[in-house]
Amino acid sequence: MAARMKLKLKTVFVLYFMVSLMGLVYALMQLGQRCDCTEHDLPKERTISRLRGELHRLQEQMRKSEATKQPQKQPAKPSLPTIFVITPTYARLVQKAELTRLSQTLLHVPQLHWILVEDSPHKTPLVTDFLAKSGLSYTHLHTPTPKDRKLQEGDPSWLKPRGAEQRNEGLRWLREDRRAQQGADSQQGVVYFADDDNTYSLQLFEEMRNTQRVSVWPVGLVGGMRYERPVVEGGKVVRFHTGWRPSRPFPLDMAGFAVSLRLVLDNQDACFDGDAPMGFLESSFLQGLVTMDELEPKADNCSKVLVWHTRTEKPKMKREEALQAQGLGSDTAVEV
Amino acid sequence: MPKRRDILAIVLIVLPWTLLITVWHQSAITPLLATRKVSKTHPPPRIPPDESCSLQNRDIVEVVRTEYVYSRPPPWSDVLPTIHVITPTYSRPVQKAELTRLANTFLHVPNLHWILVEDSQRRTSLVSHLLQDTGLNYTHLNVETPRNYKVRGDTRDPRIPRGTMQRNLALRWLRETFSVNNSQPGIVYFADDDNTYSLELFEEMRSTRKVSVWPVAFVGGLRYESPKVNTQGKVYGWKTVFDPHRPFAIDMAGFAVNLRLILYKPQAYFKLRGVKGGYQESSLLKELVTLNDLEPKAANCTKILVWHTRTEKPVLVNEGKKGFTDSNVEI
Repeated sequence: MAARMKLKLKTVFVLYFMVSLMGLVYALMQLGQRCDCTEHDLPKERTISRLRGELHRLQEQMRKSEATKQPQKQPAKPSLPTIFVITPTYARLVQKAELTRLSQTLLHVPQLHWILVEDSPHKTPLVTDFLAKSGLSYTHLHTPTPKDRKLQEGDPSWLKPRGAEQRNEGLRWLREDRRAQQGADSQQGVVYFADDDNTYSLQLFEEMRNTQRVSVWPVGLVGGMRYERPVVEGGKVVRFHTGWRPSRPFPLDMAGFAVSLRLVLDNQDACFDGDAPMGFLESSFLQGLVTMDELEPKADNCSKVLVWHTRTEKPKMKREEALQAQGLGSDTAVEV
Repeated sequence: MPKRRDILAIVLIVLPWTLLITVWHQSAITPLLATRKVSKTHPPPRIPPDESCSLQNRDIVEVVRTEYVYSRPPPWSDVLPTIHVITPTYSRPVQKAELTRLANTFLHVPNLHWILVEDSQRRTSLVSHLLQDTGLNYTHLNVETPRNYKVRGDTRDPRIPRGTMQRNLALRWLRETFSVNNSQPGIVYFADDDNTYSLELFEEMRSTRKVSVWPVAFVGGLRYESPKVNTQGKVYGWKTVFDPHRPFAIDMAGFAVNLRLILYKPQAYFKLRGVKGGYQESSLLKELVTLNDLEPKAANCTKILVWHTRTEKPVLVNEGKKGFTDSNVEI
């Protein structure tokens, strides 16, 4: 009895073993073969790659449709004056956010070259990587503001003029770069000083593109008013409508004027005076370049607001600071 | 002797099973490796125009960039899910500026439908004209939050969190416009008019199946708040200091919902009253989804693709009582 039992058990075991072995061999064979990925493949991965393919197809379609539109349009593109936008920037929490949304606006403007100048002794990786991914035509410069001209923690923003050195650096590069360029087209263009926290409408860039000397327009939310603007009579600027020190030579905001490249190149010494008293920074640059009656009014004889002097709040970091004091601050490897 | 046989038998049984288990474990990983290999041979994702022309000379690069730039908004695709962006807005000096730069962002995003809801009695011409001029695909709605007449000034009822009625109206509009059986894929995202959004964010949210989440910068008094994601890619908590035990400790800008889910659960709305600060998002999300169903985006919630920026209120001291500037000029 016991022997037969043992025998039966033995066959069971052997059978079991054979089945297991066959299963194993089958699995190993499956491994060797090319996997039927659609089963194991996470549907998410598939959707993502499908969407990317779709996006690529759309971009191709866009390029093709523009290519067919080309013969209908006038061949004005090669001679479209380039807009050189000089933007000073400095490291602070909202820097990447500001640059991101500014670049999203600039990306819509054809023939635009962005000159981004960091207030820093060297180029930061944040800005370098950002510019590389932006899709814009750009030049990345840097120059530090001397200590005595820098705003200290707790200083009100109007205490010292900001960005003067950086804008001058932008002008310096532009003059040097254009000297090296050949051809009449390279001398055509407009220079605009765009701060990284303002808001620009797309129409503004088209208004400024054909500036012959210096063009001007209203700026919203500046000078303690809804807007500041040049007053135009008979197609000429006669005075300035501003609530603060209208006796300045040019009571304009940095965002309220653009200078033709020709004028910038012809006046090699024209630059911003970092020591100018508050509110006179713009005047320090424009004084040597142009007189009031030479100004070209844009934006429908200076009656429309196409640019706003918005300012971004400093984000509250109380909890972050508390955590950092405990050594539990957020991961600094995550770029904000 | 029989003992040795038994042992041998047991070993012979156990061995193949252990081998099988290890083999299956390995095979669970290899399809992922195979996928990565497969995806590499796919067309490279999202070629920015300059990269594709990096081999050609500078002139053509510039032309390609210009071509990309001219066509706005991007042509509508029949395949991409539509992103319905719900933005509540209200009149104040910076409104036009905020909406302008937001529109400049949206003009880059394909298949975007902007649902702009004004907190006003009537749709204002400022917003109507702005929307028309952008060329975006939009829907313009309005609903007025009841004012708190007891308090002086233009303050709204403080018991109703700002933007709630407007977002709810948009949800209602979606439910009235699209039927549950409608197969048009869509994603719903709540975008406030003063935040900053990267273009990458919209592509991340497009593949949402139920509710997807990601980190948001400058909220909760931190550099950023983020969902906590475990090694299996599931959200299990919230990395915040302010009340991390909320059911969904996330900012309005930190999640997106699949349209189907919104239509499937028609009772889900933001709670109007009796909502504690910071619980507004939870009041909607808890009706829609559980923690387990959340899909983490932005590289498993390690990248910042949206910033909760706030714009300073401009100081209009020089306007004086009567207004210095011409009120007919729109800002």
